[in-house]
Amino acid sequence: MRWATRRGVHIDRAASAWLVRRFVDPDAEFVFVADRSEVPADATPFDMRGVELGHQPGPAGQECTFETILRRYDLTDPVLWKLAEVVHEADLEDDRYDAPEAAGLDAVLRGLSMTSDDDVVLAVTGPVFDGLYEYFRRAVLLGRPPT
Amino acid sequence: MSAARSDAGEWVLLCYRVPREPSTPRIAIWRKLKRLGVAQIGDGVVALPADARTREQLEWVAEDVVQAGGSAMLWTARPGTVADERRLAEQMAAARAAEYVQVRDQAVQAADGGLAALRRLRGELRHIERRDFFPPPERALARAAVEALAARAGADREPV
Repeated sequence: MRWATRRGVHIDRAASAWLVRRFVDPDAEFVFVADRSEVPADATPFDMRGVELGHQPGPAGQECTFETILRRYDLTDPVLWKLAEVVHEADLEDDRYDAPEAAGLDAVLRGLSMTSDDDVVLAVTGPVFDGLYEYFRRAVLLGRPPT
Repeated sequence: MSAARSDAGEWVLLCYRVPREPSTPRIAIWRKLKRLGVAQIGDGVVALPADARTREQLEWVAEDVVQAGGSAMLWTARPGTVADERRLAEQMAAARAAEYVQVRDQAVQAADGGLAALRRLRGELRHIERRDFFPPPERALARAAVEALAARAGADREPV
């Protein structure tokens, strides 16, 4: 399937693209557009204004796209919801969650988007989010941060 | 003779109107704009220096306005004169300066429980810096006060 998001991907789009490819659509192809009007007819838009898979009101207030996708596709994995807290804080910065990793992750993503085009950002951040997922998975299993 | 293009930088403007009732979404939007550190140009017109981050931030606020039943339009524009831009920058710098002064005062007054206060003030400082587009001298003073608190908190720490 084809998925479309805005050009110049930052944290919520990069994390959501990883989430889509790993847990929703392993064959996902991504296209990057300047505006919603440019979304191809066969593509599912995400992380842009006025689309279902965007920032939405959640039970505790505004949610970022990553959280919206988890709800929409009934992804209940607690490791993904822990990762969602980090993405939420990095993107929305509203202090809802204690996520010390968030500011650093945001800086990395913003730096990448300054030096690389969108396909490269997704290629680089895929292993990053794989690693973060594994880190939080082991933290959940161990009941403490893994060493 | 055509006017020379302004040397002022590019700004992203949000022109919006939110229904007076219900008040909850209007207050949430106001809080969000405040957290972004916007310059208030007029009633229902706010602005930030334009870059990828600020454009996206105001885009999501525009969406919140529309979802709340209001109207919103985003613009990118340059102030007509450098003096106009300077006034906007001064307004924003003054608002940040007041916030930095509060952090500095709290850091100076923090005595016992230094580590908890230090963590909180560092977080607050980071938030202010994220919406600081024209850093005033008070930023350096706030940073110095927080680092002095860090030194005091460290000195009091029990040896491992």
